[in-house]
Amino acid sequence: MTRVLLSERLVPNIFRLVIEAPEIARSARPGQFVMVIPDEKGERVPINLADWDRDRGTIDLVFMNLGLSTRKLARFKPGDSLQAVSGPLGRPAETGCSGHVLLVGGCYGLAGLYPLAREFKKMGNRVTFLAEARDENYIFWEEKARKVSDNYWKALRADCFASGEELEEIIKRLKNNSPDLSRVVVMGCSYLLYVVSTITRELNLKTMVNLNPIMVDGTGMCGACRVSVNGQTYFACVDGPEFDGHAVDWPEYFNRRRAFLRQEELSLALFLNRMLD
Amino acid sequence: MSKEDIIESGLREKLAGRRRQEWRKALRQEVSGRIRLQIPRHKMPEQPPARRIANFLEVNLGYSLDIAREEARRCLDCGEPGCVSGCPVAIDIPTFIKYVEAGEIDLALSTIRETNCLPAICGRVCPQEVQCEKNCNLVKAGKEPVAIGHLERFAADYVRQQEEPVTVSTCGQARSEKIAVIGSGPAGLTVAADLAHLGHQVTVFEGLHLPGGVLTYGIPEFRLPRFILNQEIKLISDLGVEIKTNFLVGRTATLSDLSQAGYRAFFVGTGAGLPSFMAIPGENLAGVCSANEYLTRVNLMKAARFPEYDTPVPVVKKAAVIGGGNVAMDAVRTALRLGATKASIYYRRSRIEMPARVEEVKHAEEEGIEFNFLTVPVRYLGNDKGRLTGMVLQRLTLGEPDASGRRRPVPIPGSEFEVEAELAVVAIGQSPNPLLIRQVEGLQLGRWGNVEVDPSTMATSLEGIYAGGDAVRGGATVILAMGDGRKAARAIDQWLRRC
Ligand SMILES: Cc1cc2nc3c(=O)[nH]c(=O)nc-3n(C[C@H](O)[C@H](O)[C@H](O)COP(=O)(O)OP(=O)(O)OC[C@H]3O[C@@H](n4cnc5c(N)ncnc54)[C@H](O)[C@@H]3O)c2cc1C
Ligand SMILES: Cc1cc2nc3c(=O)[nH]c(=O)nc-3n(C[C@H](O)[C@H](O)[C@H](O)COP(=O)(O)OP(=O)(O)OC[C@H]3O[C@@H](n4cnc5c(N)ncnc54)[C@H](O)[C@@H]3O)c2cc1C
Ligand code: SF4
Ligand code: SF4
Ligand code: FES
Repeated sequence: MTRVLLSERLVPNIFRLVIEAPEIARSARPGQFVMVIPDEKGERVPINLADWDRDRGTIDLVFMNLGLSTRKLARFKPGDSLQAVSGPLGRPAETGCSGHVLLVGGCYGLAGLYPLAREFKKMGNRVTFLAEARDENYIFWEEKARKVSDNYWKALRADCFASGEELEEIIKRLKNNSPDLSRVVVMGCSYLLYVVSTITRELNLKTMVNLNPIMVDGTGMCGACRVSVNGQTYFACVDGPEFDGHAVDWPEYFNRRRAFLRQEELSLALFLNRMLD
Repeated sequence: MSKEDIIESGLREKLAGRRRQEWRKALRQEVSGRIRLQIPRHKMPEQPPARRIANFLEVNLGYSLDIAREEARRCLDCGEPGCVSGCPVAIDIPTFIKYVEAGEIDLALSTIRETNCLPAICGRVCPQEVQCEKNCNLVKAGKEPVAIGHLERFAADYVRQQEEPVTVSTCGQARSEKIAVIGSGPAGLTVAADLAHLGHQVTVFEGLHLPGGVLTYGIPEFRLPRFILNQEIKLISDLGVEIKTNFLVGRTATLSDLSQAGYRAFFVGTGAGLPSFMAIPGENLAGVCSANEYLTRVNLMKAARFPEYDTPVPVVKKAAVIGGGNVAMDAVRTALRLGATKASIYYRRSRIEMPARVEEVKHAEEEGIEFNFLTVPVRYLGNDKGRLTGMVLQRLTLGEPDASGRRRPVPIPGSEFEVEAELAVVAIGQSPNPLLIRQVEGLQLGRWGNVEVDPSTMATSLEGIYAGGDAVRGGATVILAMGDGRKAARAIDQWLRRC
C-alpha cells in the first residue's frame, strides 16, 4: 500500500497526486513511468513520473480523467492508500546534448515533459516548451516549466484537435528561426504524438514520441504493449516508451489502442452509475 | 536427483535406515506384496467436464483420507525405490507414503517438507509421469505407478484442513548476513525458505504486485487454487522471509544499489517470462496476444470477473491457441471457461511430442478442446479495423529428428488452409527475462540469453551471485526450479560461512 500525501485538481480534467515512494524517487529518471493499481479490484495503469523529490521520498503523478482507472485515481485524498505502485519503469528518455530541443506536450504530457525539460536544460541545451491545449484554462505547471526552459509557447485550439495547423505553423517558424533545432520530443495523447510526427517528418526534424499503448505488467513479460517501429516489434514498456515518431507504424498503434474500447466504455459506465447512486 | 547423487549424498543410507524401523516392517508384513499389487490405482475424483467448463474451480477434487490410505497401500515400500531417483528434490517417497498408509498424515507431510517447501503445489503441477511415477517399481511389474503426486497433494491439503496451524521452526544460528533473492517464483521461494531455515536473513524482491511467479500469473485457478498458493507462501514468510513486491530489480534498484544497502549474496530467480512470437504477418493485430498476456489478465488481474474487476480480457466464440505445452493447455482451457464455443489447439508436431502434462491433455480432451496437429500459422487475417478474424495455417509432416531428439516438422507445400478466429493466443515458448540479467556487467549468459551457472552450486560467473530455475534453464518445470533453489541455498550458506 502506498500513501497519498496530496491530491489536487490542476485544470478541469487533470489531477495531481503526490505519493510516498522513496525507492521510486531515488531511482527515477526523466521519461520513466510507474504502474499504479488504484484499489483491490483495480487494473495496472501506467502513469508517467511528472516529478519526484529524493529527499522527501515522494513522486508526482499527473493524469487526465479519462476512463475508469483515472477517475478512480482522481478520487484519492491525502491519507488514502493506493493498492500498489511500482517503478520506475521504462527506459529513461534520451537527453544528451543536442543544441536546441523542442518539447511538445499536451494534456498530461505538460507534466510528464517537465523532468525532461529540466534534464535537457541541465545538460546545456536550449529548451523550447510548447504547450498544446484546448484553451488557457487547460494549461498548468506553466511557471514550473518556464523555470527549466528558455521559451514557453502555447498552441491553443478552439475546438478539439481541429487539424494541427496551429502546431504546424509554430514548429515551422521555430525551425526557420532556429537552425540548431535538432530534436523534438512529444508527450501526451496519441493523436498529438501522431500529428507532430507528421509535421516534423516533412521538416526532417528528429522526433521522439512517448507512446502510450495498452499495458498489463509493464515489466516486459506479456507483450500487450507491442509496437512496430521501423518494421520491427518492440515492447514499449521495456524498449520504450520513447520511440522515433517517424518510424512508428501509426495505424497499427491506433488499432491496438482500441482493442478493449468496448470493455472500457462498459466499466466506465458502470462506475459512473455507481457514483450516481 | 540421479542415483549417483543419492548414493553420494548419503541419502540412500538415511532412507534404508528409516525403512528398517519397526513400524515400517510391521506395515510391510501386514499386507503381502502380492495383494498390494492387485489393488488398482485410485482415480482422482474430479468435477465432471460439463460442469467444470463453466467455472474456474479446481478440476481435481482430491482424495479422501480412506482413498489416500488405500492408494498408499499399493506402494511396496521398496528396498531400492525407483521413485526417489525420479524426483528432482529426492523426497523420501516411501516413508511419506507409508505414513499415509498408517494414517499419520502430519508425519507424512513433514517428511515431504524435509526437501520440498511447496508440496501442495508440486503434488498438483509436477509432470509426475516423467519423474517420480515414471520410475516407480510398480511400472516394472506391469502395473500403474503409485499415485505419488495425488498422495503428496493429499498430505498437504489434509494437514492444512486440520484445525491447528502448521508450526514452522528455523534451525541453525541466526546470522546477520542479508541475502537478496530476486524473483518470487518457485526457485526464489525455495532458496528463501531453505536459507531462512539455516538462520539467514532473506529478502525476496518481486517486480509484480503479488508473489509466486508463474504459479500466480500463469497457472490457472482450475489447476492451482490461489488460496493454496497463498497458504504455502505464507508458511515461507512465517519463517521470517521478507517479501518485497512492486520491486523490479534493475529498475527500482540495481544489484549494486542492493549490494551497497548491505546485501551480501544474491540469487537470481527471475524466470523465463519473455514471450516468443513468430514474426509472421498480422501478428500485431488486435486479438493476437501472448499466452502470458492472456493468462496474466485472467490469473493475476482476475479479468474473468470483469467488470467486477477492472482488467478486461477478450471474450470470444472462436479461440485458437498456438502451441502444445502446459501453457497452451492452460490458455485454451481458459478460453473455454470464458465462453468460447470453439477452443482449438494448433500444434506443429504430433500428439506424442506434446510437452504438456498427460493429465492436462486428458482434461482438455474431456472438455471438448479441438486438437489440430502438424499445423502452423503462417499469417493472421484481420478486418479493416485491425482486428483478428482468422488465420492461414500450413500443414506439416515429421522429418528427421532434431537436436531435441524429436522429429522435425517440415512444411507441406501448397497445404495452406484458413480458419476463423477472433482470438489467437501464442504459446510457443518463453525465454529468460532479459531486464536484470543483461544489465549486470560480467554476468555470463548462454546462447539463449540464459544465465550460465556451475550446475553443482548454481554459482554464476560473478562471486556471490547465484541463479536457478527458468532464468537458467529457459522454460522448465516448477520442481526443477525448486531443485535449483535447494542447491543454491546450500552453496550460498557455505559461501557465506567461508568468507
Ligand atoms: C508509458 C505510459 C505513460 C502514461 N502516462 C500517463 C500520465 O502520466 N497521465 C495520464 O493521464 N495517462 C498516462 N498514460 C495513459 C494512461 O495509462 C491511459 O490513458 C489509461 O488507459 C487510462 O486508464 P483509464 O481506465 O482511465 O481509461 P481507459 O479505461 O483505458 O479508457 C480510456 C477511455 O477513453 C476513451 N477512449 C480511449 N481511446 C479512445 C479512442 N481511440 N476513441 C474514443 N474514445 C477513446 C474511452 O471512452 C475509454 O473508456 C500513460 C500511458 C503509458 C503507456
Ligand atoms: C502457463 C504455464 C503453465 C505451466 N505449467 C506447469 C506445470 O503444470 N508443471 C510444471 O512443473 N511447470 C509448469 N510451468 C513451468 C513453471 O511454472 C516454471 O518452470 C517455473 O515457474 C519456473 O520458476 P522460476 O522460479 O524460475 O521462475 P518464475 O516462476 O517465472 O518466477 C520468476 C519471478 O521473478 C519475477 N521477476 C522477474 N524479473 C524480476 C526482476 N528484475 N526483479 C524482481 N522480480 C523479477 C517475475 O515477476 C516472476 O514473478 C508452467 C509455466 C507456465 C507459464
Ligand atoms: S515433488 Fe514432484 S517429482 Fe517429487 S515426488 Fe512430488 S510430484 Fe513427484
Ligand atoms: S518405487 Fe513405487 S512402489 Fe516402490 S517405494 Fe517408490 S512408490 Fe513405492
Ligand atoms: S506491458 Fe507487458 S510487456 Fe509491456
